[in-house]
Amino acid sequence: MMIILIDHLFISNFNIMKKLLLRLLLYVFCIVLILEVLVRVFHLTKDYPVRFVDDLGVERWVPNQEGYSVTGNRRQNFSKFNINSSGYNSYRDFEPSKDKMELALVGDSFIEGFHQHYNNSIGKKIEAKLNGIEVYEIGYAGYDFADQLHLIHQYQSFFDLIDHVVIDIKFEDDLTRNEYGILKERMKLESPMYRNLRHFKLLVYLQNIGAFSAARKMTTTLLSLGQNNISIHKKEDVNTTRKRYAKYIKNFQNLVHIYGYDKARFVLLIDKENTPQLFLDLLDKNGYAYIDFGKKINQSQIPTTLIYDQHWNNHGRNIVSNLISEFYKKSLKKQ
Amino acid sequence: MLFNSLEFFIFLPIVFILYWFVFKKHLKTQNILLLIASYVFYGMWDWRFLSLILLSTIVDYFVALKINTLEHQTKRKLWLSFSIIFNLGLLGFFKYYNFFVDSWVDLVSMFGYHMQSTWTLKVILPVGISFYTFQTMSYSFDVYYKKIKPTRDFLSFAAFVSFFPQLVAGPIERASNLLHQITNKRTFNYNQSVSGLKLILWGLFKKVVIADALGPLVDDIFTNYNAYPSSTLILGAVFFSFQIYGDFSGYSDIAIGTAKLFGIELMSNFKFPYFSRNIGEFWRRWHISLSSWFQAYIYVPLGGSRQGKYKTILNVFIVFLISGLWHGANWTFILWGILHAVIFIPLLVLGQNTKYKNTVLAEHSKLPSLKEFFSVLFVFSIVTFCWIFFRSESITDAFGFIERIFTDVSYVSYSHPMGYRMIDYYILILFFVFYEFLIRKDERSPFNFKSKGLRFVIYTVIIFCMLLFYDDNIDRSFIYFQF
Repeated sequence: MMIILIDHLFISNFNIMKKLLLRLLLYVFCIVLILEVLVRVFHLTKDYPVRFVDDLGVERWVPNQEGYSVTGNRRQNFSKFNINSSGYNSYRDFEPSKDKMELALVGDSFIEGFHQHYNNSIGKKIEAKLNGIEVYEIGYAGYDFADQLHLIHQYQSFFDLIDHVVIDIKFEDDLTRNEYGILKERMKLESPMYRNLRHFKLLVYLQNIGAFSAARKMTTTLLSLGQNNISIHKKEDVNTTRKRYAKYIKNFQNLVHIYGYDKARFVLLIDKENTPQLFLDLLDKNGYAYIDFGKKINQSQIPTTLIYDQHWNNHGRNIVSNLISEFYKKSLKKQ
Repeated sequence: MLFNSLEFFIFLPIVFILYWFVFKKHLKTQNILLLIASYVFYGMWDWRFLSLILLSTIVDYFVALKINTLEHQTKRKLWLSFSIIFNLGLLGFFKYYNFFVDSWVDLVSMFGYHMQSTWTLKVILPVGISFYTFQTMSYSFDVYYKKIKPTRDFLSFAAFVSFFPQLVAGPIERASNLLHQITNKRTFNYNQSVSGLKLILWGLFKKVVIADALGPLVDDIFTNYNAYPSSTLILGAVFFSFQIYGDFSGYSDIAIGTAKLFGIELMSNFKFPYFSRNIGEFWRRWHISLSSWFQAYIYVPLGGSRQGKYKTILNVFIVFLISGLWHGANWTFILWGILHAVIFIPLLVLGQNTKYKNTVLAEHSKLPSLKEFFSVLFVFSIVTFCWIFFRSESITDAFGFIERIFTDVSYVSYSHPMGYRMIDYYILILFFVFYEFLIRKDERSPFNFKSKGLRFVIYTVIIFCMLLFYDDNIDRSFIYFQF
């Protein structure tokens, strides 16, 4: 009798819970649908331009695309980007010639500048300060020194027409390779799966505001369980750091050796405060010119980065564009 | 484990399924599951401090049994004192030891003797210690006052002490309400579960959208108060009023909602305190479980209001003083408590403290009267002023903050250094106040509208707001965890 009663209770409970679960699922489904619409209507998340690897093995954006870049939540940073005919974000097309003076800024996402309207870019700010110079922003998120020198090498005839080239590098991030190769991980983002997932704007939004970071962290922790990963959290010792720096410096030299480096026209854009003295000594001894943006950026009383993002905001870009302009004003005067 | 964490969103369904499907047949196994789940929940912070909960549980379990066997009042009192000394000893050591040492050194140095504070210890404050020690003590008190019979079921008692939804930040439950729910068989109730889910949603909104969104603004204004004019400082204090309310009442709602999923009803902890028309009403609506604890176990044993006006005033003063100290080992909290006592006592003398005991704002109308409106505004202003002491790092900072409000009287539009769009926050607060006003009559039914369509729209808006204000970069822990 008792067993029958318990079974009855269990079955009736199960049915009630099934009802609860089904209703919950229905609500969730409808809410997700509406949220997807809301994210699209208010344009809360960014558009992804399409990337490709061209015939010369250079990775860049498919030319002539436009869209909106959104950082963080509530569209607090919203800007339009315009991929020109060369496949880079800029208000102008790149048409260098011997009759004009041009300056190319080669770099990663900081130069690419999706985070600010393309009409208000670093390049345009420099053009306003250096009359008569056309500035070409050849920036692409994730470009490192290998990407940059490989690009210049492959498009040598194009770059030969450009009078000055500024190459933006971060010592810790951009010298990890000693030779160029197509990054398959990055190109995976163009796989059908990723492209299809990007159609769900709500998903893109959630990812951009960091809603999945906890899940990612948890997955990483679970996957690393049982593995000997004690060293992950260990602070790097001096010897290891020294070895790593030596490797990066060797990579720099190797890349210069493979792809060439025109010291007369090329200038590095670096953050001296985050660059080891060993590398700075190498630059000084071997006549590599550089512009340091770190001091001014770090000294600024007003924030130089965006909300939810470490890319330069308008103030940060003003500082960097001023530094580059000042550098060329001086060097052009000398000439 | 935080309520607003991924871990909890995995943990809760697992415990729920095990509770209602796997362990449903036997109450004992269900309670063992609750106990294990609660210890896992707590252990995710720091498993070492589980020993303190266990110790407190063992002490009060046996003390209550002992008290129950004794008839002699002095002996009963002796055993009760043992429970009090033990629990307050734990609390005193982990929470107040360094504070008392430092205060002693400061006091001595005021008389010209310079001492070096070498006695302070590096003590970590165990999360929720103020809550569970008070809960276990209340059990011994209730047995002592013969309000309840002690339980012989140790596992159920341990589950009562450590019940995870309210373990770390309340509501501080009484054995008379919670223990019998744990010792008796629970059945799954659809309406109760739905009501629980709704409270969880509303609590998450208050935490994620109101409290967490305002957190960085409050932090900036209180940290850099020297650089801001009075308008910004007032804004900072008002923001903190909403932040602490969203944070704490949000936590309580999630706790109550979670308990409902397990067929357990916890007491209400907040009843729209910012709609109070005098400070007496505020204290019947703010952190109710703590206020009623103090009333039952401190105010009444001290004599309450039975021994003349002066003794009553003294008792009220003591309760507020202890309430301040309970919140934290800092003079700022003590002064906050004293300030509230000073505001409350005139009402008590005039017999106005219970004036609005059984009514709510705009009880029989859609809008409050002008008198009610200004009363609410007045009480909110006073409470907000007192929060300045609560939020400031030190007494010096609190007075510095207040001094600037009165000396640098100017208006400058505030903008956060990170450039957050401020209009979003103003709209958010207006929306929140308006919505709370709509639901002011029932704190346990935040979506009590007849139209299913309207309810659905509100759920969607609330989740949408969470997406709009979610910030992965901020500290998402609850303010009351530090108490």
